[in-house]
Amino acid sequence: MAKEECKALLDALNKATACYHHLVLTIGGSADSQNLREELQKTRQKAQELAVAIRARLTPPLRDRGLGAEERAEFERLWVAFSGCLELLEADMRRALALGTEFPLHAPRRPLVRTGVEGGASGVAARALSARSLRHEGERDFDVEDLHQLEREILKVGEMIQDMEMKVNVPRWTVQARQTAGAELLSSASAGVSSVGGVSVQQRMGPCDLSKALAATIFSAVLLAAVALAVCVAKLS
Amino acid sequence: MAPTRPQTPRPLRVNSRGAGLRPGRSGAGNPTLPASAMAAGPAPLGGHPRAQKPHLSKMERVVVSMQDPDQGVKMQSQRLLITVIPHAVTGNDVVEWLIQKYCIAEDEALHLGTLLVQHGYLYPLRDPRRLLLRPDETPYRFQVRLNWEQTPYFWMSTLWPAAELDYAIYLAKKNIRKQGALVDHEKVGYHHPSPATPAESSQRNPSPTSGAHSPGSKLIQMHKHTHPIEGVSEGRWGVHPPELGVGKSFPLETFNHPQAHYDQLHRKINHTWDLVVMQAREQLRAAKQRRKGDRLVIACQEQTYWLVNRPPVSLLLEGGSWTAEKSLQGQCVSLRCSLRTCLLTLGKDVSFEILAKFLTKTVDFYKRRIECCRKALGRTRVKSSVCLEAYLKFSSQRGPHDPLLSGCLPSNPWVTDDDTYWAMNAPSVAVPTKLRVEQWAFSFRELLEDPVGRAHFMDFLQTEFSAENLSFWEACEELRHGGQAQVPALVDAVYQQFLAPGAARWVNIDSRTMERTLEGLGRPHRHVLDDAQLHIYMLMKKDSYPRFLKSDLYKDLLAEAVVPLETKRRVFPFMWKPRHSSPSLALLPTSTSGEPEAAAGSPGGGDGET
Repeated sequence: MAKEECKALLDALNKATACYHHLVLTIGGSADSQNLREELQKTRQKAQELAVAIRARLTPPLRDRGLGAEERAEFERLWVAFSGCLELLEADMRRALALGTEFPLHAPRRPLVRTGVEGGASGVAARALSARSLRHEGERDFDVEDLHQLEREILKVGEMIQDMEMKVNVPRWTVQARQTAGAELLSSASAGVSSVGGVSVQQRMGPCDLSKALAATIFSAVLLAAVALAVCVAKLS
Repeated sequence: MAPTRPQTPRPLRVNSRGAGLRPGRSGAGNPTLPASAMAAGPAPLGGHPRAQKPHLSKMERVVVSMQDPDQGVKMQSQRLLITVIPHAVTGNDVVEWLIQKYCIAEDEALHLGTLLVQHGYLYPLRDPRRLLLRPDETPYRFQVRLNWEQTPYFWMSTLWPAAELDYAIYLAKKNIRKQGALVDHEKVGYHHPSPATPAESSQRNPSPTSGAHSPGSKLIQMHKHTHPIEGVSEGRWGVHPPELGVGKSFPLETFNHPQAHYDQLHRKINHTWDLVVMQAREQLRAAKQRRKGDRLVIACQEQTYWLVNRPPVSLLLEGGSWTAEKSLQGQCVSLRCSLRTCLLTLGKDVSFEILAKFLTKTVDFYKRRIECCRKALGRTRVKSSVCLEAYLKFSSQRGPHDPLLSGCLPSNPWVTDDDTYWAMNAPSVAVPTKLRVEQWAFSFRELLEDPVGRAHFMDFLQTEFSAENLSFWEACEELRHGGQAQVPALVDAVYQQFLAPGAARWVNIDSRTMERTLEGLGRPHRHVLDDAQLHIYMLMKKDSYPRFLKSDLYKDLLAEAVVPLETKRRVFPFMWKPRHSSPSLALLPTSTSGEPEAAAGSPGGGDGET
């Protein structure tokens, strides 16, 4: 079924875009490295492939005049999500270009900003590519060439968006989204359970948590001490 | 009101996307830099070219030098329960470093540090919602300023639809993380002002303000005067905030509340809500791939970013659209930023009066502005080519007549103390000068304004038997400029003499104007005859005036007109009346007045005259 395929591809694109966004966040920070740039490149290339595929799948039904209203509405919804995704991707790519030029890896004009982020992001990229792990194989001047390529790709994506607008006429304001205002909460519980890592869903801020964590530690320490004392007393007597 | 932001001209688009307009973005077209390597590149979508505002680049330099491993600020690690996150700095260290590096006083260092925090270069780890720098052990961390630092400039630009989406995704993520409890966090307005704040503010306030003002308003003034945040400058903030009374405190979280934003966004970009939800979920899942410390840091960064760049209260309150109204941009920015500065630095309940003042100003102000623009649209405009041609014609025509440009004959009274010039050009003189007579030919108004000219014109009209027109016109002028007490009598006299059906000197006015005038005569005022006067004026101008210029009378006048001679120069140095030392401009060969007779008055010669 074309719609299911499209949906699956769109989900994959969504995932790739989210991962790309996440990776772009760390450019220029203390976690920036060659590996990061490679991961960026791979992620965005995957995203672009997906975009091309989706576009190829979505354009014919939308240009088909004879499509029923229901079907058409469905496809329009997918279209709007798709173009929004592409725009997000393009914006992130531009930011990546800007940051990449400002914070070159080798011969740095200025050192990387020490933001406190340290670990690598290969897990993120692997998730985007739906691969187990990632191999890094770039050469030394990877980031400079990468930037040129990034420019070209930005242009390509831009053209694609433009083309899409020209070819298919979908008035966005008529599209009714399926999700309601609090929709992300409803299935997030299920998503949280099934997510990788099994970390608790409640991500509290570290600093806010500090006092509570401290109190908890002290309490447990006191408890342990009390238990130990009780045992000693029991042993002595 | 002109915005203070430098109006850099927008460069033209260089790449292929110039022609089309995308429905998702407003139609201004997206300019990019015409600069070399980055045709596609870092030029933002919409709005201004990439050159940052100068205060931001300066701040960036400061931050970069702070990060220098040898000479920068001492970095520590932040310890959470198990995780250790490096690269934290304490407020104290920052202030000390600033003092040492720039040799400034502590107040200034504190202020500078606060600016850095407010613009998002540093963010506080303990109390992220109050963007202040405290000179104590509170830890801070550096934020990577992505290209997003330009985003504040694009509040009202074509980029905004995408940034709305970003904000919506952020709120959705927050919603998921906090399990629907957006209500608890990010409230500006519930923090009690700590004891440090009034002390800081009083430290920081050098200018003497009236004693009644509370520290909070001093802060506002301080910020208003000292630094432009995003284009606010001193003079544009019309409303001077009253002192912040404790009085009716108005909790702001109902306005400045992420839940309110969330709902508003949901209404506004409803069509992309699927995407918002999907992206929010995916971004959270992607974040889980990182270690916990990194996750915390990134979340902190994002939160700070949105705290610093949050959409403003006033626009949300109106429910107004966030898209650009370029003409109002400057004013809007100033209002927004002043309000935001207010909120961010005070961190306490802002009294209702201030808010109300801002609100009314916004709404009324917009209404007035709209009215103004509408009127401006309706004004007639002349093309500059036409306008400039008229200027040229005027200048070339009047050039020779101007005493400064072309000199005056016989001599400039101010220079030579000889007032022949004034005597010859007196309002009523028997023989007018040639220049004067020529001036009558320029326009009808000139002719009428000159008493001599008017008199001659009257003579001419009498030969043509239409002198009553001019008399009527003169009578109307008298009515208009005369005394108020004489108005009824004068109107009556004019009516009797000129307008009544069998009047002695009946003037020829068209029926419609006549009807209107007759109606108005019932209640006479000084402008009641204006229509009729205008009609007669145009009649004379179109009809009699050209004939006058072609008439023999005028030609005789021209011939008889006198051209004064230039006074001779004295040679002897010790005469009572000093003469001008250089020849009159009017006699220079380049002069266009071309009066050969004047050349007879040549300077020099050895004969002196007594």
